[in-house]
Amino acid sequence: MLRKFVDLITSLKLTIVCLAAAMALIFAGTIAQVHLGIHEAQQRYFQSLFVWWPPEGRGFKVPIFPGGHLIGAVLLINLIAAHAKRFHWAWRKLGIHLTHAGLIVMLAGGLFTDLFAVESHMRLSGGDTRNYSEDSRLMELAVIDTTGPELDQVTAIPEAVLRRSRTIEHASLPFQIIVRNFFQNSRLRTLSEAGSAARPIANQGPGAQIAVEAAPRATGVDDRDIMSVAIEIVPIEFVSGTAAPSLGTWLVSDALGAPQTFSFAGRTWQIALRPARYYKPYSVTLQKFTHERYPGTEIPKDFSSRVTLIDPERSVNRDVSIYMNHPLRYRGETFYQAGFEKDDQTTILQVVHNPTFIAPYIACIVVAAGLLVQFGYHLVGFSKRRRTAPA
Amino acid sequence: MLLFACDRSDQQIKVYRIAKAPFDATPSADAAMPTNASSPSSLPESAPITTITAAVPPNWEPQPLSQMRQASFLVHGENGAVADVSFVTLGPAAGNILDNVNRWLAQLAQPPITADKLAGTIQQLPTARGDIAIVDMTGQPESGDSSKDGRIIGAIASDEGRIAFFKMRGNSVLVGAEKENFLKWVSSSRGANSTASTTDSALPPANSDKPEIKWEVPQGWSPAAASAMRYASFTSETNGEKADISVVTFAGDGGSDADNVNRWRQQIGLPAVEAGSLNSMIVPVRAGEISFSTVDMVGATARVLAGWTRHDGRTWFFKLTGPKTVVEQEKPKFVKFLQSVRF
Repeated sequence: MLRKFVDLITSLKLTIVCLAAAMALIFAGTIAQVHLGIHEAQQRYFQSLFVWWPPEGRGFKVPIFPGGHLIGAVLLINLIAAHAKRFHWAWRKLGIHLTHAGLIVMLAGGLFTDLFAVESHMRLSGGDTRNYSEDSRLMELAVIDTTGPELDQVTAIPEAVLRRSRTIEHASLPFQIIVRNFFQNSRLRTLSEAGSAARPIANQGPGAQIAVEAAPRATGVDDRDIMSVAIEIVPIEFVSGTAAPSLGTWLVSDALGAPQTFSFAGRTWQIALRPARYYKPYSVTLQKFTHERYPGTEIPKDFSSRVTLIDPERSVNRDVSIYMNHPLRYRGETFYQAGFEKDDQTTILQVVHNPTFIAPYIACIVVAAGLLVQFGYHLVGFSKRRRTAPA
Repeated sequence: MLLFACDRSDQQIKVYRIAKAPFDATPSADAAMPTNASSPSSLPESAPITTITAAVPPNWEPQPLSQMRQASFLVHGENGAVADVSFVTLGPAAGNILDNVNRWLAQLAQPPITADKLAGTIQQLPTARGDIAIVDMTGQPESGDSSKDGRIIGAIASDEGRIAFFKMRGNSVLVGAEKENFLKWVSSSRGANSTASTTDSALPPANSDKPEIKWEVPQGWSPAAASAMRYASFTSETNGEKADISVVTFAGDGGSDADNVNRWRQQIGLPAVEAGSLNSMIVPVRAGEISFSTVDMVGATARVLAGWTRHDGRTWFFKLTGPKTVVEQEKPKFVKFLQSVRF
């Protein structure tokens, strides 16, 4: 039994099956981007263990094909196992060993990047200072206790929790948050625009004057869902520990700009649905953004951001230029010049936290070295044989 | 891989405290001016303890502080002229005077200077904290706004391994007019040695509510993270066992005493008591002009000491909870803590 298993995971047939499955998955995933959008297709096809098929009207889903994570993991195990089983040290096989080691590093690095890398953006206008970046896709419900004179206490509830939980309780909140409606993508209209049949889903704040309609998921590369959630705030009595009468229902949405405020238990609270924030122990101030164009055209020639990086913990206070192919790397994060907006007044820096960013570089170097050694070995042998061969 | 997928940080509720920095707001005209120093708004506990206590000119408008900025002001002049004043301290790795002078020069689009020229650029200002290096630089960055930029006056002082930076940056004329005020403010500042300690007579935490309250924290108690529910928290540790001290306040009467006491009793496995027999359990503790009602509840393993008082339309609950031996040891300190409370 064990022998059969070892034979299976070390077999070349498994490698071929995995590679063929990967090709089919890439084809299907690419086609799926048309109606799912690039992000959703990536998640469903490549960043999953299985591709699921949801039967219409059924409450369950079935796996119909291995996902990218499963194929990659099996391929990685297959490569390591096959190499371990057939490993015989010899100088003449050094090139093959190096090439396989490079492939292992590349596969493992790809998997870890997929699991742990976080991409976000930092938008800065002239003179702005930020010590956080914002996720391009994920949202969070920020519940902020603004009562303190100097500090705000923020309870950040990720969209995944809003999506799966009907009632949210947390030790930092003296009330329950009940999710009444959740719209992944939505369209907001005022009641007067929406017509007499429209009804608001909130009874507090500006949401009481707004009708919310569900909208299909955004599929364009630059399109974003406009998430909207109706939440009811229900106090938890301090003394009895039971729920008290509701404070009301608020509409929080990506389309509503300003946070909404209410008071409870002698404290002032703000609620807002906003892009998920990643705070940093340092700050970045935009000193100057430069956008040069080719003369007589609107074609960008160069754009760069001059920023001041300040890190009190490490006593760092320095100016840095970020431009194309010249990112800022600091504390495990890389700041790329990604774009600009508002007539060149605002720079957009892409912030990438990828603990395994070095893996592809190492893998390429090792694979290249392995191929050089392998082909070099054969070339030298071939030359020797030619020289010694009778004329 | 499945384990990795289970513990996703993007699916967990996070709680943190941030300064009321202006970053979250839509940038105003003032906020859009070039800043002297950026202002990290989180992790306030790691902020340097050096403070500035100098007299501030009346026309300097205080701005929100941050972990980075320990003093921040905005000065308005004529025709929309603005100057930004800041005080920041950093560790020795912040660079020498030449590094920082050249960095400021670069911000004004001026060429760097060499160490030879530095001596002729800086002036020494004798103060109580020692000589402070003063540098006055002018220059206009490309596409800079002259109403908000054009001159920097910087002051650099060394305090016990830390470096203090005072800086005024803004409209050239306004910065010149405010130079005397700036130098007076710098020279009357105090160094790290004279920083007052607040550890023995702790003030309410930074995120405290509006109601004013003061107390003296007993020795051996460590501040713990407060929350929206807790006005303040402390812990005390004895032989590896911890006791938790909490202060909670609510508007109104906070419910009946019997309900509160019975809820606390239930938490440590004790049966409820009748409201009529509660009076015999309550021991008053005097604290200045107010009086606390206290009860001592001993369960099988845990013990709770609770004290409460009603003042100015609010109810304050103080509670000591922990293993019996630790609570027994901390009881005198807890009573002293209650007695030190003043509104």
